[in-house]
This record gives sequence, C-alpha cells and structure tokens, in this order.
Amino acid sequence: MELLGLSLALFGAALAAALSGIGSAMGIGIAGGSAAGVMTEDPNKFGSCLILQALPGTQGIYGLLIAFFVLNKLGLLGGAGAVALNWNQGLQIFASCLPIAIVGWISAIWQGRTSAASIQMISKKPEAMGKAIILPAMVETYAVLALLTSILMLMGVQVG
Amino acid sequence: MAVSRLKKAELYYHKSLSDQVAGILQESGACQIIGTEENSSAPKEMTEQLNLSSEYLADVRYLMRTLTPYFNDPVPALDRMLGERPEVSMQDLKNLSAEKDLKNLCEIVRNNEHGLAEVKLELSQAKANLNLLENLKFFPFQLSIVTEGTKTVKGLVGSVKFENLAGLKGALGDFSKYAKETELVISDYDEKKNPQEVYAGLIYSVDIEKEVLELCAKNGLSLIDVPAEFKDTAQNETEKLNLLISESEKRENDLISTLKDLASENMPDIQKLSDYYNSMAGRYQEMSRSLDTECTMLTRFWIPTQEAEKLKAKLEAISPEIELNYSDPAPDEEPPTLLNNGSLVRPFNILTELYSPPVYRGIDPTPLLAPFFWLFFGMCLGDAGYALVMMGTIWFVFRKYKKIPLGIKDFIMLFAFASVSTFIYGIISGSFFGNFIDSFVPILVPLKNSLMLVDPMTNPMQVLGISLLLGVIHLMFGLLIAAFDKFRHGEVIDAIGNDLSWFFLIVGLCLFGVGFGGMLPPHFTDIGRAMAIIGAVVIFLYAGKGKPGIFSKIISGFLALYGSTSYLGDILSYSRLLALGFGSAVIGMVINLLGGLAADIPYIGWVVAVIVIVGGHIFSILINLLGAFVHPLRLQYVEFFGKFYTGGGESFTPLKLSQEFVTVKA
Repeated sequence: MELLGLSLALFGAALAAALSGIGSAMGIGIAGGSAAGVMTEDPNKFGSCLILQALPGTQGIYGLLIAFFVLNKLGLLGGAGAVALNWNQGLQIFASCLPIAIVGWISAIWQGRTSAASIQMISKKPEAMGKAIILPAMVETYAVLALLTSILMLMGVQVG
Repeated sequence: MAVSRLKKAELYYHKSLSDQVAGILQESGACQIIGTEENSSAPKEMTEQLNLSSEYLADVRYLMRTLTPYFNDPVPALDRMLGERPEVSMQDLKNLSAEKDLKNLCEIVRNNEHGLAEVKLELSQAKANLNLLENLKFFPFQLSIVTEGTKTVKGLVGSVKFENLAGLKGALGDFSKYAKETELVISDYDEKKNPQEVYAGLIYSVDIEKEVLELCAKNGLSLIDVPAEFKDTAQNETEKLNLLISESEKRENDLISTLKDLASENMPDIQKLSDYYNSMAGRYQEMSRSLDTECTMLTRFWIPTQEAEKLKAKLEAISPEIELNYSDPAPDEEPPTLLNNGSLVRPFNILTELYSPPVYRGIDPTPLLAPFFWLFFGMCLGDAGYALVMMGTIWFVFRKYKKIPLGIKDFIMLFAFASVSTFIYGIISGSFFGNFIDSFVPILVPLKNSLMLVDPMTNPMQVLGISLLLGVIHLMFGLLIAAFDKFRHGEVIDAIGNDLSWFFLIVGLCLFGVGFGGMLPPHFTDIGRAMAIIGAVVIFLYAGKGKPGIFSKIISGFLALYGSTSYLGDILSYSRLLALGFGSAVIGMVINLLGGLAADIPYIGWVVAVIVIVGGHIFSILINLLGAFVHPLRLQYVEFFGKFYTGGGESFTPLKLSQEFVTVKA
C-alpha cells in the first residue's frame, strides 16, 4: 500500500496529458477538416488556416505541462528517485490534475468547432482574420484558467 | 487625435484629360473615390476602358494560372513579399503591354494545353488496355477471333472464380458434350498459391453460340469486353501498344518542355502585365463612378489634408482646364478613417484595424492600447532567450531586405517592439530559454538571480497579484477614457453615472482591500471605503434614472450593482498573464530537462541533446508567440475595448497601383 500515493499521482498526470491531448487532437481534427475544405477552393489560405487550426492545440500542451510538473514534483525525472508519498498526498496531486484534464479535454473540442467556423469565415472574408483568431481564443480562456488552477493547486501540495 | 483629417475634393476636367487625371490620382495613392448617389450611368469612356482592361486581365489570369505550374520562379514568393521586386515605371509597363501579343500567346498556350490533355487521356487509356492485354496473354489465338470472329467460328474471353472453374471445364471442356465444337483455354495458375480467379478463353462454332453463352453465364464466367482495335495476338498487340505508349510519352514530354519554355520566356512579362492590367482595371472601375456631361467629367474623392496641396500642384501642371475644389466634410457626412500615428505607435495600428477602425470623428484607441499590448506580450512570452531569437531574426530580415513595403515593415516592427518587453520581463523573471542557465551554465546563476525581481516559479502568487493589478489599471484606464469621451460630447451625467461611478467603486474597493491587508497605511482603508460607497450610491441612483416608481428604481439599482460580477470576471481574466508566462517558462524547462536526459545516452548523447534543445525551443517559440499575440490582443478587444470603444468606422482605401510583382517608381 505504500506505493498507492505515487500511483494516484501518476494516474493524475496521465489523465492530464491524455485527456487534454485527446481534446486537442479532436479540436485540431475538426478545424483541419474545415481548413482542408477551404483550401480546395483557395490553396493560398494555407497560412491563415494553419494558424486557426493550431489554436485548439494548446490544451494538449497545457496537459503535458502539468504532467511534467507532477513528474518533476515526484522526482521521477532525472536520476534522483521518487519521493515518498502517502495516499493522501497522492490524492491531492490527483485532484490538482483534474482541472486541466477535464477542461482541457472539453474546451479543446469546442475551440476546434469555433476554429472551424472561423476558417469558414476567412474563406469568405480574408480581411476578418483578427476577429477570426479572437473567437477561438475566447474559448481558450477557460483552459488557461484551468491550467492556472492546476498549477496553483500543485504548488500548494507538500510532498517529501 | 490620431485619425487623419480628410478633405473632400471635387475635380472637374475635360474628358480628353481623363486618362492623365486618372493616372495621377492612382499614382498618388492618396485618393479614395466617392461614388455617386444618383443612379446615373457611368461615363461611357471609362466603361469602355474598363471592359478593355478586364478583357486583357482575363487573358493574363489564364496565362498565370496555366503557366505557373511550369514556371520555376527565380524570385521566391517570400522575397517578393518583402519587397524584392523589379522596379519599373508605368510607362515601361504601358510599352510592354503594347509590345506583348497576349492574344497570340494565349492561343499558343491553349493549343499546347489541349494537346497535353489529349495525350494524357490517350496514355491513360493505353495503360488500361495494356493491363487488359497482360491478362489475355494466355490466349494463344489472334484476338480478331474475339473481336470479329469468322463465318463459322467465334471466340470469347472472361474471368471466372476459381471455385467455378471445374464446372466450366465440365460444361465446355475437352470431355463435355460440346468438346468437338469448342476449344477452352485456361490461363496458368498455381493451385498451391490459392488463386482467387483465373482467366478463360473459348473458341466455339457459331452454330452453338446461344448454348455456349448460356453455359458460360451459368458457370460464372464474366465476359471481358475486348476493344475492337485488337486483332493480332495479345503478345503482338502488347508490343504495338508499348510502342504507342512510348511515342505518346515522348509527345507528352515535348509538350511539357514547350510549356516550360513558354513559361520561362514569358512569365516575367506576364507577371508585370498582371500588375499593369490589375492597376488599369482598378483605375477604370473606380473612375467609372465619376459623373459626366458631353465633354466634362466630375470626380469626387477623399484625400488626407496633408496630401491635398501636393496633388493640386500635380493636377494643375497638366492643364489649366482643371478645376479642383477642396472642402471639409459636412457634419452629416461620414468620411473613411485613416489612422495617423507616429513611428512608435504606427506598428500597433494593425491591432486596431483588425478589430474595427474608429469612426471618423471618434477616438483612435491605438496609442491607448499600445503600451498595454507591449507589456502584456512581454509578460506572456516572458523569456530573454526567446526575445534574443526574435531580435536576431528581425535584424537578419532587415539586413537582407532593404525594400520592405511599409505595411509589412510595421508588422515586423510590432514584433521588434514586443521582443524588447519580452527581453526585459525575461530578465526580471529569470527566464532564459526556460531554466537554461540553471541547467547548463551554473556559473551564471548568481548574475541571473541578482537581476530577478519576480519569481513566478517559486512565488506565483506575487505575479498573479501583479497581473490582476495590471488588469485593474487597464480597466480603470478604459473607464476614464470612456468618461472623457462622454464629457467631450457633453454627456456629463452619463459619464459620471456609467463610468466614473464604477471607477470610484472599484478603485475604492481595491484601496480598502489593500489597506485592510496591511500593505498600505490604515487611512487608505477609510479613503477606499468612502470612494466605494460614493461609487455604489451613484451607480444605484443612475440606474434608477428614468424608471417610473420607487419600486422599479430600487430593482434596477440593485441589478446595476450586480453588474460588478462582470468586473470581477474582467479582472480575473488578466490571470492569463501569469499562466501564459508560466507556461512558456515550464515548456522551456521541460525541453531543457529532456535535453539533459538525452545527454546521458552514450557517445551520441550530446548530438541528441543539441537537437532536442534547439528543435524544442524553436517549437516552443512558435507556439508561445501565437499565444503571446492572441491573448494580450483579447485583453485589448474584450476587456479594454468593452469599456469605451466600438469601432464601426470604414478604412480609408485609396485608389492604388497593384504592386504584387513589380515596384512602380515615380
């Protein structure tokens, strides 16, 4: 049972990286389909389409960031060896991972839909690129807030 | 005020001068033609010119579209965008357009293009037939027996599923009742390899055709349609076809190389003409919005005040029969907006234009948002190393390209400015390629630490506090601008009730909170409390203004105070400044960590480490640049602009020369 804490913490890190990664993959996929459609008509839009398609990708990076944060906290990176962790601390780290895991996952999908719509918008009005970027960024706000929550929670958890 | 003052110009001239006048207006690049309100028809001369240039433009577009795939452009598109274009005068272009026989060239290109399409079609058919013949090679007889037959004998070929083969053999093979009148040939197969399908050919007497066809169908032989042109054996026909294919391929290559020659010979000229005819079509499109009589024309346009005299001198130089009157825009007219800011603020114009330019008589928010965007960008990217990479790249671009067009130069300058704030914030937060210094050059750690003012890694609450404080300052600044704008328009009550009241409430609450927390002397608590109460009372009273009855006054007062939650949300939104800066620092840290781990691989470790660190940081710069641009922009558009700015103006779009492939010199 003495490894339960470590397992819980790792489970949290895995969820943070996996769920937000899934969300970003779906979001980018949705936006990519829309971008490909627009580019069949106008291949010159590749640059702006790519930027809009990349926007839902940040959630995956936020998740990865939290996962690394956890691994670092646990002493699993580098040769130092894992720190001792009771199950309570493990559960605390697990809880800290949840905001970015859940919000990253779902917000990326919705951001992808907004990006797809924005891509359709610039296909008709290329001059509206500024507005087209801002709309998906509105969705990302909540992923940023979740990231912040996860970071602050993780920093508060005492281990070792 | 940084919206350019415009003059409305009315220009009267004789029709014989229209070409010259149009040229001057277009080359000045400072005149936005005003359309006619009345439903009058466009001047005939202009429409004729427009039709003519549109026709040439269509040819040019056809040539560009067709020849571009065959053209190896010596100038990369990026170089061209950054101003590496040949310099020509309009007269050169005009001469070129007179020399170049576009119609003839189109004809030649079109013939080649059609020829190529035909050859490609032939080739694809021939290749399909080649496949067919390959499958028929087992059939030893001449194919004419299948395609034509003789008086007494006919043939057929087909494919049959392997499991039906025995049945087919039994019905039509050597031991069937038709053995004498048929000859069945089966393609080679290897039973060990578990064949799915075999090919079969059959020669039969025409007398029993009906029975044969029935038996074939019954035993699952699906007939293959052999094209009528095949007469010889499959083997010989294959050889013939191969000869034909190699001939066609040679023809195809000839046509392609002809097209390539045509492209390399003509594309430079076509590109120039593309600019010329685009300019011409644009010119007459706009000029056809003029008014005319029998022999005079009237063109009206907007022109920035500072350009007005220069243009007047140029126009009056061509002929005395020109009358140009300038007037200020009437109060009921809505002129377009041209932002006019000094070189420090001008790069930020694009941020305002991306949102929506201000109305002509409105406030230009660019100088107001510029310092905040600059600061926020720096906090979001927040890495001295990344800033150095940006500066180096920008320095390289400016060194290599000397003729960058103004708009693009401004956009690059925006990032040049932002790299400075990024560098400063990187230094004071101790971030240089993430934690590169701590990981790899420990000798510099004391220097880094001595320059650090904030430490988001160990004390994020401090940076969060700074971010939120910046948010309050940004929002309050927005409220003050809104109040100022309302005072300017004489709406004093609205300014106090809508904007200043909230300013008092929020600033008061902040002072109260900070004083209460012991960070300021205690009398700030009292001042803060007083300000907050005054603010809240004013908000409460202002919301009830104009509402009938005391009851609905009270309800709307409370509802207005409930609006403070939106301010809370706005302020918390600035926490992204911490989160994004933190994000880029941690991504940098992760990359360094992975690089450090890779360095432990024996022998090649350092190579892998360098690849991971360099590649990783490039990726990190790109992804964080996107974030550091988008999020501060959102803070301007949503939180800041929400307080005072709606935009709604129309950009000043003067009649200009098209300069995609050439730079037109005066």
